Amino acid sequence: MELTDSELVQKCQAGEMSAFQELVSRYHQKVYMVILGLLRHREDALEVAQETFFRAFRKINSFQGGSSFYTWLYRIAVNMAIDAQRRQKRNPLDFRENMDDLLEAQNEVAQDPFSDVHDRELRESLVKAINELTPEHKAVIVLRTIEGLSYKDIGEILGCSEGTVMSRLHYARKKLQDKLSAYL
Amino acid sequence: MNSCETDRDSIGSWLDGELSPSQSEAVQSHVATCGACAETRRQLEKIDRTLKTSLDAEAVRVDFLPFWREVQSRINRKRSPIEQLVDWGRDILTAPRVTWAIPAVIIVLIGILSLDAYLPGWKFGAARNSFAAVDSIDAHGSSVALLRENETKTTVIWLYQDEEGENDAAADESAKSGPTF
Amino acid sequence: MMLLPTNLRNRVLLFSLLAFAAGTTVLAAEKNPQSVQVTIGTILVSNQNDDFDPKLKSMEKQLRVLKYRSYRLLKNDTQNVPWQGNKVFEIPGGRSLTVAPQEFQNNRIALKVRLTEREKPLLDTTVTVPNKGNFLYVGGPPHEGGNLVLSISAAAQ
Repeated sequence: MELTDSELVQKCQAGEMSAFQELVSRYHQKVYMVILGLLRHREDALEVAQETFFRAFRKINSFQGGSSFYTWLYRIAVNMAIDAQRRQKRNPLDFRENMDDLLEAQNEVAQDPFSDVHDRELRESLVKAINELTPEHKAVIVLRTIEGLSYKDIGEILGCSEGTVMSRLHYARKKLQDKLSAYL
Repeated sequence: MNSCETDRDSIGSWLDGELSPSQSEAVQSHVATCGACAETRRQLEKIDRTLKTSLDAEAVRVDFLPFWREVQSRINRKRSPIEQLVDWGRDILTAPRVTWAIPAVIIVLIGILSLDAYLPGWKFGAARNSFAAVDSIDAHGSSVALLRENETKTTVIWLYQDEEGENDAAADESAKSGPTF
Repeated sequence: MMLLPTNLRNRVLLFSLLAFAAGTTVLAAEKNPQSVQVTIGTILVSNQNDDFDPKLKSMEKQLRVLKYRSYRLLKNDTQNVPWQGNKVFEIPGGRSLTVAPQEFQNNRIALKVRLTEREKPLLDTTVTVPNKGNFLYVGGPPHEGGNLVLSISAAAQ
């Protein structure tokens, strides 16, 4: 029978590395997705995701179970991603090259006879528009869209109230609607 | 703001399932009958779908085993003293502690600067043992001398007085026994 | 360094501002003191014998400038004197010393000092002494075969 996150955490705290491995297995893609949504740079997102789990391992004994494990983990991930984003000193050319890679990858996956130019342009514009949001607005959009997390959970992760989450989401969505109106 | 705009602003929260049942029902009914709001709903859903698809496409590229091996190597790698110090700092200075630590440090610093108010004789920074200064003297007709001695930073106002009610010999002695500056 | 969530960041800023305000109020209170603690030491100096009162140890180097052979502390008086007010210190031989704080600036205290003998002014002087610092000496009045030296120091309260 599959163990719950809490049970796995308890085993980790007792020193069982296999329990931590299972937690990494469950969350590594989700954590990566959230971080990629914030950083928009593949290598950086991978590096930050790995560092997130390393930090989580170091701090596992301090996890008291006051929140769910995944909100605790996402809090570490989002804080690290926002830190990395502020440190990101990519020159526009590097950024442009990486963005092109990302968009190409998405187009490869989406490349089927029914995928049209319009959708491709929407994806490109969406990536750019998300990137123009502030880190805080980006974080709420990514956490809500990718993970479907509740406002309460998002608030716990970002250390703000549900009301703040709601207003940030509203603002971010309005911004995206305005910028993408031609493609929606 | 009219009711349609209010409902339109709530569409995001409605799609997120964050409205109360009554609010949710009200927004749903409105969207069913309002073209502009229905269009807003369609746009928001499309944005969500596109964003999720684009990131899902990336996430499936991340294989577990190579990822786990890298995490493991970080866990097993010996940390340099500086990295250990940074880790220790991160563990100690959690966000709630920093909330108290920063103002506490400010108070302590201000306390140190004010310490000599509570510990007489304690001096912070450069010694304050500077000269006493004399701005004006009026000896009302008597002779007066002002002495300043640099090495000991001494300032003396000496008033030359004749003794009253003493014999002349004593008065002479007294006058002669003024300080030898 | 982990980025502080916004509300925690605001809390840090608020507490820091409060701490700073509280701390600077303390410092400001010192900068605008309510009164001055004035200490007058009455010292008998003479050449009648060779002795140095141990109670005068802290000012020995300065007193020795006067080149007397004997130094004896007769009394030490401390009074709190309000700004723009004054206090009278009794000095042996029917004398008195009136001290009136005038100003506190750059950590120095300006004092108006009047030495009186039987209601007759002997000396009027305006001096500046370091706050909680060095002494000013006023000497000369004859007493018991020697002379009186008055040490004057001040501390802002």
